[in-house]
Amino acid sequence: MPTKILITDDSSFARKQMTRALPPDWDVEVLNAADGKEAIEILLNSAPKVMFLDLNMPVMDGYETLEAIIKQDIEVVVIVVSGDIQALAVQRVTEMGAVEFIKKPIKNEELSKVLHRHGIFELNASVISSKSTKALNQLASAEVMPDAIKIDMQEGYQEIANVAMGRAADLLAKLLNSFVVMPIPVVNMIEVSELRMAIQQVDDNDMVSGVCQGFIGAGIAGEALLIFNESSYEDIAKLMKYVGEIDEVVEVELLMDIANILIGACLKGIAEQLDINFSQGHPIVLGRHVKVDDLLGRSANRWSKTLTIEMGFKIEDKNINCDLLLLFTEDSIESFNELVSYLIE
Amino acid sequence: MSDDLTELDRLMSMMRSIDLGLIVVDENFTVKVWNDFMTNHSGVRGEHLIGNNLFEKFNDLPKEWLSNKTKSVFMLNNKAFTTWEQRPYLFKFKSYRPITGAADFMYQNVTFLPLSSADGTVDHLGIIIYDVTDVALGKIMLNEANLALEKLK
Repeated sequence: MPTKILITDDSSFARKQMTRALPPDWDVEVLNAADGKEAIEILLNSAPKVMFLDLNMPVMDGYETLEAIIKQDIEVVVIVVSGDIQALAVQRVTEMGAVEFIKKPIKNEELSKVLHRHGIFELNASVISSKSTKALNQLASAEVMPDAIKIDMQEGYQEIANVAMGRAADLLAKLLNSFVVMPIPVVNMIEVSELRMAIQQVDDNDMVSGVCQGFIGAGIAGEALLIFNESSYEDIAKLMKYVGEIDEVVEVELLMDIANILIGACLKGIAEQLDINFSQGHPIVLGRHVKVDDLLGRSANRWSKTLTIEMGFKIEDKNINCDLLLLFTEDSIESFNELVSYLIE
Repeated sequence: MSDDLTELDRLMSMMRSIDLGLIVVDENFTVKVWNDFMTNHSGVRGEHLIGNNLFEKFNDLPKEWLSNKTKSVFMLNNKAFTTWEQRPYLFKFKSYRPITGAADFMYQNVTFLPLSSADGTVDHLGIIIYDVTDVALGKIMLNEANLALEKLK
């Protein structure tokens, strides 16, 4: 009798990664859900034994799903698999009943150890691992993939952004000793003239400060742009235990400190996943006390299209929010695509 | 085998004479590495500095600011940067052109790098000092010119 397992993640790329990481000789039937709502329905109808749950999902996120499981008294072993690795996040899901927390991207050996640890599946000593597993075959028929693995590039980028954002949020959380709220990063390909549209987290009339920092490596080049909502300065100063008057010099210091952390962590997160290295230029303050449009106005349009990844960071219960925009040059796309495709192999 | 050694030697020669400040300190700010740029601009030789505390030899360095700034580098294994616009300089050096130049001191950009030991923990800090006097002067003069133009309007 195959063991029923449920993989809940809004990214089909991530669900496929998860499926590929399962032990090859495990007799499983894999069910999939794209959000918490679908997951609950499947839990009630098919009663899978184990669920791998992502935290960052639309409609109903991981935390809400765990709540629903408790409320409706559903019996299932929940293993959280997420890019959001903040200590508080791990603590919360454990309190809500998850038996384990696995950090994305998932490694086969780690998953096998976790399954072994909870008595879900014992790894056979004489296992011969083969590439074509039963689970993958099921996946193929369930998700209708015509050629060998045809992955949507958008999804690959989405997942890379998710994991990188999780790392940045974790560092920010450690620095500010708070919980960082992470909406799903938005990946887009837009005209440079439409750059304003890529920034969804900041309102037109907010006063903002912006820091930008260039990076380059492995054929990929671009700029990281941090847009910081100015109403946040007081709260940030408090969280960073800054004592004293918050004058202009201090504001720039705080801005630079946050920029260093977020940009550094995101770039590192991306670089590690793609197994490359980035050189970072010196950060530059683009503007202070300006509206978002003014911040972006002066860029020379040397290329027409740019790949953008937008990540919004908010601190729970505080008036702190900032938007990190990663902009990649048009001629980086080819190299980027190639590196993402290695990740999928 | 001997070829590898020569490449390392060559690299070390370049590091010593490169026109950037290269410093390595541990968590207590004990100096471990000090290159020629630092020796020449500060007037303090490496031999007198290595093994001693940085702040003892340079008591006008902003100790508290530096400790705060580098705390997150050690803790989070993350690079940190500071530019001349935040702080004109970290070490007060004479400008490279003390006679014909327009600056009283060297404007500096600084990068702080986490350096880890074999077990992965960050136990040392790399400090790279860039001379950006020309860039800084250019921007300052541009701003002054713009202000003057505004007044004329």
